[in-house]
Amino acid sequence: MNKLLEISLGIVTSVGGFLEVGSLTTAAQAGAAFGFRLVWAIVLGTICIIFLVEMAGRFAAVSRHTISDAIRERFGFNFFLWPLIATLFVNFLVLAAEIGGAAIALEFATGIGFQWWALPVALVAWLLLWKGTFGFIEKGVSTLGLVTLCFVVAAVMLRPDWKAVAAGAVPSLPGHDTARYWFIAVSILGASISPYLFLFYSSGAVEDKWDKSYLGANRAIAGLGMSFGGTIALGVLIVAALVLAPRGIADVDDYHQLPLLLIPVFGFWGFVLFCASLGIACLGAALEIGLQQAYLVAQGFGWNWGEDLKPRDNAGFAAVYTLALLMSAIPIACGLDPLKLTVFSMALTAASLPLTVVPFLFLMNDERYVKEHRNGTIANAAVLFVIALGCVLAIVTIPLEILGG
Amino acid sequence: MELVRDILDKQVVDRHETKMGKVDGIVAELRGGAPPRIAFIEIGSVALARRLGPRLGRLVSRLSARLGGEAHRDPCRIDWHRVRDIGVDIGLDLDVHDTTVFDWQDWLRDHVVGRIPGA
Repeated sequence: MNKLLEISLGIVTSVGGFLEVGSLTTAAQAGAAFGFRLVWAIVLGTICIIFLVEMAGRFAAVSRHTISDAIRERFGFNFFLWPLIATLFVNFLVLAAEIGGAAIALEFATGIGFQWWALPVALVAWLLLWKGTFGFIEKGVSTLGLVTLCFVVAAVMLRPDWKAVAAGAVPSLPGHDTARYWFIAVSILGASISPYLFLFYSSGAVEDKWDKSYLGANRAIAGLGMSFGGTIALGVLIVAALVLAPRGIADVDDYHQLPLLLIPVFGFWGFVLFCASLGIACLGAALEIGLQQAYLVAQGFGWNWGEDLKPRDNAGFAAVYTLALLMSAIPIACGLDPLKLTVFSMALTAASLPLTVVPFLFLMNDERYVKEHRNGTIANAAVLFVIALGCVLAIVTIPLEILGG
Repeated sequence: MELVRDILDKQVVDRHETKMGKVDGIVAELRGGAPPRIAFIEIGSVALARRLGPRLGRLVSRLSARLGGEAHRDPCRIDWHRVRDIGVDIGLDLDVHDTTVFDWQDWLRDHVVGRIPGA
């Protein structure tokens, strides 16, 4: 019974924690510009993150190691530096984007410019990390994140042509703007397969002291939680295709266009729901990424870490998330456009994935860590394929997007 | 046992299971006639910097001595005899506060983190 409760709680948290500014923006852009054509990118990204999250949980439960800890141990410090630096940098950008997303939600709600909200948002996130425990953050904020399910409700209420949606699950070439099409596809992959998601998940499994008895629960949480999460992103895409495109908005390049998404369905409440979804989802993600930066450094260097310890008992750990939040708030406070930053950092995430995922796959096939619970060929091949696709696409399309935009 | 595979870069915990760092370096003792013997494990950023390159090692060593005093010019060395068990972590039979490993964390706690309300 206790375990059932834990499983459902885990699913709830992954549903609530899935949608953040990255998947929201990229799905909205995809729907507005290309209708249901890019559904496949969300499906592919979601399948890949299911595999990775399941592996992360299995790895932590069997080996009692977090991923960053094990990458350093297995490959040595000189190698570890590369994924460490790349992930810290990408996380810095994504964290800034999340702070920006929450700041925009507050701008919509109050009318005060987003740059004024960057530091207050960072301060609230920091206070929650400073005073909160891991369970409080993981469960509390993500449960509130269930408000993002309103996108799924809206998608169903708009009565889309489900056949057309299903047809979008098969990749097809667009008739126009080919470069933009692939760039959005890559941003969607980057937004779905965020390294912080599975790195964070493995830290969480170690914080919650998982052992082999959690393997079944882990599978359920990864599979159901991430598919529900992907469904929300799909909901955003459908809503964008049916609401933004008919109103002549093909390019979502200004965040002021976004609240329009839910208004035709829910009226004024659509506006409120959108602000709440954006604000809560981004704050939740900011907490996770802030913590993940501290986990990454502390686990890589072997410091004492744990969100349940008081800051004075792990001063280094607390100092890292404090600095991470402060530094990421600066670009937004200086007025950098959160929408541009979001899309760019999602594509960059996709480009950086091989640096963390490839060593992680080596670990998942290493008997000394996972014993008889090694990866199957299908899991290895599936993840490698998506990562390679995302990375190649990102390297090709990022320069195109910068030159073209 | 393979030194690099099983010892280097492993998590080190003290007597009270406090995570005190990773095995950043291994020091072996050469003995005339007999096979070399592991003498110490090293913990600290100076040992890490030396692994990346001698010049960086000297730079970090100087910086560390200026910030933390002469005791920090070289990484903290822990006698191999203190190693109690080698499993998921490497357990040591000592208290981390008897070493210089956490000096910077203590400084950070006393001067910065501890001064912020709620810490």
